[in-house]
Amino acid sequence: MIIHIDMDAFFASVEELDQPELRGKPIIVGGAAESRGVVAAANYVARKQGIHSAMPTSRALRLCPQAIRLPVRMARYIEISHQIRAIFGRYTPIIEPLSLDEAFLDVRGSERLYGSAEQIARRIKLEIKTELGLTASVGLGVNKFIAKIASDLDKPDGFVLVPREQTQSFLDPLPVSRLWGVGKATHQIFDRLGVQTMAQVRQLPVAVMQDYFGNHGQQLWQLAQGIDERRVVPERQAKSISHETTFAQDISNRQALLACLMDLTEQVSSRLRHAEMLGRTVQLKLRFADFKSITRSVTLDKPTQTTEVLWQAVSKLFEQCTLSQAVRLIGMGVSNLHHETERVQEQAELFATIDSRQQALDELADKINNRFGKSTLHRASSTRRSADS
Amino acid sequence: MNINIQREQLLKPLQIVSSVVERRQSSPILSNLLVNLKGNQLTLTGTDLEVEMVAKLELMGNNEEGEVTLPARKLLDICKTLPEGAQIDININDDKALVKSGRSRFSLVTLPAAEFPNLEPMEEPFEFSMKQKDLKHLIEKTQFSMAQQDVRYYLNGLMLELQSGKLLAVATDGHRLALSEAEAEINIEESRQIIVPRKGVQELVRLIDDSESILTIQIGKNHIKVELPDITFTSKLIDGKFPDYQQVIPPSGQIVIKCDRNLLHQAFTRTSVLSNEKYRGMRLSMEPNLIRATVHNPEQEEAEEELEVDYSGDQFEIGFNVSYLLDALNAVDTEEVNVHLTDSNHSCLIQGEGENDSKYVVMPMRL
Repeated sequence: MIIHIDMDAFFASVEELDQPELRGKPIIVGGAAESRGVVAAANYVARKQGIHSAMPTSRALRLCPQAIRLPVRMARYIEISHQIRAIFGRYTPIIEPLSLDEAFLDVRGSERLYGSAEQIARRIKLEIKTELGLTASVGLGVNKFIAKIASDLDKPDGFVLVPREQTQSFLDPLPVSRLWGVGKATHQIFDRLGVQTMAQVRQLPVAVMQDYFGNHGQQLWQLAQGIDERRVVPERQAKSISHETTFAQDISNRQALLACLMDLTEQVSSRLRHAEMLGRTVQLKLRFADFKSITRSVTLDKPTQTTEVLWQAVSKLFEQCTLSQAVRLIGMGVSNLHHETERVQEQAELFATIDSRQQALDELADKINNRFGKSTLHRASSTRRSADS
Repeated sequence: MNINIQREQLLKPLQIVSSVVERRQSSPILSNLLVNLKGNQLTLTGTDLEVEMVAKLELMGNNEEGEVTLPARKLLDICKTLPEGAQIDININDDKALVKSGRSRFSLVTLPAAEFPNLEPMEEPFEFSMKQKDLKHLIEKTQFSMAQQDVRYYLNGLMLELQSGKLLAVATDGHRLALSEAEAEINIEESRQIIVPRKGVQELVRLIDDSESILTIQIGKNHIKVELPDITFTSKLIDGKFPDYQQVIPPSGQIVIKCDRNLLHQAFTRTSVLSNEKYRGMRLSMEPNLIRATVHNPEQEEAEEELEVDYSGDQFEIGFNVSYLLDALNAVDTEEVNVHLTDSNHSCLIQGEGENDSKYVVMPMRL
């Protein structure tokens, strides 16, 4: 069994945790309406008013004028995310984080020690609740696909177990939009075929699926039968670590994009350090209003996990890109990964480098953010974005 | 516009100006060459917006003036593959160029000359001159130490320091450094530093030879320009501050190991067989009159070399990236080489015996 754990309204819940007086009130975490900010997260009170993440803050505030808007405190979320991951780590080393608030766990090797997957999942959910004061929605299934759907079905504070033999009957009535990789375009094709549910997808001949969807067709067809062979890949074995954000409204302001890129860089480098990895290739990804994507990458002289070094590389890549259109998605990633212990042969530097000074800074920042809850430490330019909000 | 030219006359200048044209281009015009004929003078220009190369040649016979851009790679490949001694006729009509030679005919698409990017003209350039062979020597002694794609962009080039009466070249990738100096006719009171980008350096060194002839070099605010008899080379400069190189050159030190350059190079080359791209580390153990080089790799294999040297200090060990040492030893011209060391945490200085114009500094590795 694979476990998928998804924190409920994560950023907003962390804010409620730190400011309990806000409980029960509608909360939006995100950029200010005046600076054309976007909702990064909203608590369930706010969601009832129709607010959802990636919505422009201005629109959210029109829907719910009494909503309280708070700036994004990424360093604090990263800190809590590490604490959650530490709880996972008690039960299995095979953890694949998808983002700060979401992860897959493979507990097949731990069942003898800690009981069934279901028992482990219940304990993790309970420990997150009692130790951190946060709720998570948990899904269990025979593979990643089933587990992920399951965790989403009963949010918030959900717990959905799909027993192996019920996998097909669980999937069959679900709409096609639950299939991975089904966006607007794919959905339109299904509409034309009159296909609405997973059961209908799996009853189509695979050749038809391939005709309409190319290589992707067979994959969709397999998913609809509950077949998903992707393993849970722990970060230490990952080939790359990356993060991306899709905007509700396309953005063409370079400054705003840079601030977003810095948040992503902090998250990626924090994950690198947490996984004790160093990366050499830095990649920038941009998707434009017309859905065309470009990626730009650079390979550094030596692997790093230092935020500043990654930031310099990715911000330079960004500077070299001409934005002929507005941007709908921005992402950054690091690949060409090595584990820290591979750094046995260390080349000394001629000049006091950013690396040696910044490495000390990162270590300190990680330590502070791990030890003191509220004294969040992060880079000034992402503060500036919240300050002028 | 009409040009009539013999293959051999066109080929060499065409090769030179095409060399700066990058295979992958952001804009189609950059894969073209600017071809200009005025009177009997034919001018070919190639650029990648960073480096510009201009070749001039005199035509004979009847030609028709004009200006157009032609696809660089295709024109070069046509010219290369035509038989020796072929007579080439290029005729421009509207947006097509007809290239004819013997029974071969090619119709190429042209782009208007007005779209071809011009480098901004240099304002009040500073001018100096030096022997061609001295400049070549200077670059060859240092260019291998330039960084490739460092985020410290100012390291991805060669730093030239203009001093009164001499020119210094310094290259470093942050792990090792190469410095060389040569006499030059420079009238300057305060020294001045410029950084020529990597590509510019590599193109320039291919243009110049070991001759005694005098070169004129112009330095503008953002450009360097070198005029050769038939070729003009211009490169943008890197706008950045080069690190203080003097600070990292160790004093010729307390520990000096003197040995035969060739033997040392051969010994290191053999031990490096067991290193790989990820693990370039080599351990050097010094004993009186003996140096021992060892390399271990992750497969638990081991290489060891011993060499008799002139050394009378204490026993100690230090690690280096073997490629950096080999690069430096390659650049040394003399038979004897001196390796100056302080201790296992500090850089080493490599200099040819009696070769005072060049220095190589390599930082150690912790193994």
